[in-house]
Amino acid sequence: MMDRRWAVNIPWSMVGIVAGIALIGLSAVYSATYTQRGPSPLFYKQMVWIGMGFIAMLLMLIPDYHTVGRYAYVLYAVSLLLLVLVMFVGRTGMGAQRWLSLGPFAFQPSELAKLALTLSLARYFAEAPKQDYCLRDLTVPAVMVLVPLVLVLKQPDLGTALMLMLTASLIVLIAGLRIRAVLVIVIIAAVVASTIFLVPPVKKKLWGSLKPYQQNRIRAFIDPSSDPLGSGYHANQSKIAVGSGQIMGKGFRKGTQSQMAFLPERHTDFIFAVIAEERGLFGAGVMIVLYLSLLLIGIDTAKNAKDRLGALMAGGVVSMIALYVFINVGMAVGVVPVVGVPLPLASYGGTSVITTFLSIGLLVNIQMRRFMLFY
Amino acid sequence: MQQDTSVDIQRRLPFLAAFVIVFTVVLFVRLWFLQVVKGDYYYDLAENNRIRPVKIGPPRGIIYDRKGRPFVENVLVFDIALVPEDAQDLGATIKKLSSLIKVKEESIRTALADAAPIRAKYEPVKIKEEAPWEEVAVVEAHQEDLPGVIVEPEHRRHYPYGGLASHQMGYIGKISQAQRRQEQTAIGLLVGQGGLEKTYDKLLRGVSGRRMIQVNAAGMKVKDLGIEDPKPGTDIYLTIDLDVQQAAEEALGARAGAVVAMDPGTGEIIALTSHPNYDPNLFPRGIAPKDWVRLSNDPSHPLYNRAIQSVYPPGSTFKVIVSLAGLDSGLIKLDDKVTCTGSIKSGKKSFRCWKKAGHGTLTFHRGLVESCDVYFYTMGDRIGFDRVAQYARNMGLGSITGVPLTDEKAGLIPTVAWKKEKVGEPWYPADNYINSIGQGFVLVSPIQACQMIGAIANGGLFYKPYLLKQTRNRETGVVKKTRPDRKGRIILDSAALEEVRKALFGVVNEPGGTAHGAATPLATVAGKTGTAQVIAQKIPGQKLFGKQQDHAWFIAYAPAEKPQIAVAVLVEHGGHGGAAAAPIARKVIEEYLKNDGPPLGR
Repeated sequence: MMDRRWAVNIPWSMVGIVAGIALIGLSAVYSATYTQRGPSPLFYKQMVWIGMGFIAMLLMLIPDYHTVGRYAYVLYAVSLLLLVLVMFVGRTGMGAQRWLSLGPFAFQPSELAKLALTLSLARYFAEAPKQDYCLRDLTVPAVMVLVPLVLVLKQPDLGTALMLMLTASLIVLIAGLRIRAVLVIVIIAAVVASTIFLVPPVKKKLWGSLKPYQQNRIRAFIDPSSDPLGSGYHANQSKIAVGSGQIMGKGFRKGTQSQMAFLPERHTDFIFAVIAEERGLFGAGVMIVLYLSLLLIGIDTAKNAKDRLGALMAGGVVSMIALYVFINVGMAVGVVPVVGVPLPLASYGGTSVITTFLSIGLLVNIQMRRFMLFY
Repeated sequence: MQQDTSVDIQRRLPFLAAFVIVFTVVLFVRLWFLQVVKGDYYYDLAENNRIRPVKIGPPRGIIYDRKGRPFVENVLVFDIALVPEDAQDLGATIKKLSSLIKVKEESIRTALADAAPIRAKYEPVKIKEEAPWEEVAVVEAHQEDLPGVIVEPEHRRHYPYGGLASHQMGYIGKISQAQRRQEQTAIGLLVGQGGLEKTYDKLLRGVSGRRMIQVNAAGMKVKDLGIEDPKPGTDIYLTIDLDVQQAAEEALGARAGAVVAMDPGTGEIIALTSHPNYDPNLFPRGIAPKDWVRLSNDPSHPLYNRAIQSVYPPGSTFKVIVSLAGLDSGLIKLDDKVTCTGSIKSGKKSFRCWKKAGHGTLTFHRGLVESCDVYFYTMGDRIGFDRVAQYARNMGLGSITGVPLTDEKAGLIPTVAWKKEKVGEPWYPADNYINSIGQGFVLVSPIQACQMIGAIANGGLFYKPYLLKQTRNRETGVVKKTRPDRKGRIILDSAALEEVRKALFGVVNEPGGTAHGAATPLATVAGKTGTAQVIAQKIPGQKLFGKQQDHAWFIAYAPAEKPQIAVAVLVEHGGHGGAAAAPIARKVIEEYLKNDGPPLGR
């Protein structure tokens, strides 16, 4: 049951960090989408998302996280259903069918799927505790990952599919895997990868199955200078934006890259570049440190969780957020290829903002209940 | 099994922490490298980032008829535009530009001022659209004296048939500010603003491409850097047959009215005409104010699609409904006799038949063939109008058909309760009389009339009328066909339906029938005329003129034994349905059945 001194138990430092990230992000969305006629409707929408996210986070504190765990599979099933639904009635954008229209808003089921998958894996491993899992134990989790992965790939959304894969892998590593199993997986992966790259017919087939813009992004990452206006355009413009921000930044709404629309997707995937250009190393550094603190508190939460479910849920959520932050920022500064993933809490996008807030609510929930003996 | 502790997990968490910290450090170092070590370099790059995207408008999808003949075409034109940010000395550029092309300096300044509040930085402002070739050449040749001036290729919509089917085609125009607020698109983007151009705008529009050009510090083009090809819009094939459409328009001629023809077995609209029409070619460049005023103030309402947006009293065509209601419910027997003396009395009022001399004694078949008003006054009163209304609604009257065009009107099928509520008066026997011959409160649109006669032709099967036969993606060649949307089936006594159909055949083919003008050697035609009074006739037999003349209706299908086409014709103030409307239906039917060969070109 809930303690009476509930509010006292809320880790305000965590709430503060989250609020900080969301506000810096929101101001960047304001700047990136500002039009000659004033703030864009996107800015107001994002404000609503953040408000709703905050409420969702607080609501997430009320049920015990074991209750959340009990509903993990239901959530998983619902998200699969929505992923199937989006294939048929989804709204198309940028060559992919990713969104479900809800009046003026759009809902992105793949964002919900990542949280649902994380929670379901946590529950699965918590219910079948073992010191180290062997390969056979991974059959069910593998299926759990592959079903949404294939659905997301169909959209096609390579970025999110990759993120599902990476997040799931991290969770498996946290749950524990025999060294032998790790070795076998690495060998299989190596064989598959070398088949893809070294056997021309396979390579051709797979390469052909990618959308042209996906091929271009991969090509551009390998050699960004090959075609600065075609495929490497995003990566190059983002690097110029970040670098030109220098130490103190060009100032709010003064970023030439961001304001003149050289930066594509500047309010979503490249929001970090906007922050780096307008706020400089100072602002970008603050942002990174905020994320680091959030993740470390999360890891601490996992460590102090009173049981496996709590530890795995916390670990899973931290892995998920960490991967999104690193891939997104890495993409903006040109250390990973351009894959369209949002920066948690900062990028424009309702589903992403709300699911991230929900995840953090869950972290806080686990943290608050670490000393309770019964549930 | 092991206990529910997380000791082993705790052991592994430091690795996760290490991963997080290491990655953060990597990112921070990278940021340091980009922003501090190479900061000046990137700052210069950003300052000299003089790549300007020049939008390349996508060619809009072509609208074809059912046999693959284009209704519209795209013509490549060149617009001269100005990017004020790129003009170092804006005044000089404007002056020079004005001297090279025939545009006044003030108009250039006005164009810039108009665009200022709504454009994004570096978004070009159109100075001259569809510039003649010599001017384009001159501007290209004087690039160096014209910093900031660019030539933008555009696809302009052209409607080779002018007003033909203009109400379906609709028109395109510049995206309005309100629309632009909803979707972030370039100013001046041409989007569908009416008709099918609007209904299927998302399909037709395509995606803009860009040409990247590099300009120097003075805003002059240095080189072309590459092209991102635009994605052409999807082509659409309508169910309309160009020949039949043309035949319908010619047959209607200068008279105001509407013709709707559909395939009763699928709901495909074969022709849909509304006169007077307008020339959609007036719109693509932005309609001139004087043209707009002329069109919207024209008392004959050329912008109005009479086939779906106007509702009229159906006149005698409504007798088809009364017949169905009577026979199907058993309240009219085939051999029930009514004697017409030219009028009938109800209380103190007298109700006239259109034939002053009277029809004499007749039964159902002759009653419908000769369209005897007295017969239907009597039968309508016997059936009761609420029951008639039920059949009318079942036949799709009183509600929109759902054809994919905007602002369709539902018309009106009155009931006793409706009159009490809206008019505040009880339903009198006289209401039974006049509504049963399609006067009074009943209102029907031409497309509803066509759908209704189509359902009779088709044995009670109802299809939603549609106009989009298929779409074809120009890049992939993928064809998507529309499937007929069956709305339902009206359960009718088949003997009753057969009797009605026999009488409709008689209307065109038997002596005394009212629509001999619809008969054609190509096929057997069945139909029903209607002559809807516009004003009450004070003196019987008095000749009416102009706007007081009756509306002429004719609804038909052919061939009578195996219907392939259903037609509804309405001629406003056309006079008698048999004389004014039936010959139009005949021409439409002939044109369709004559060519009823290969359905689709490709």
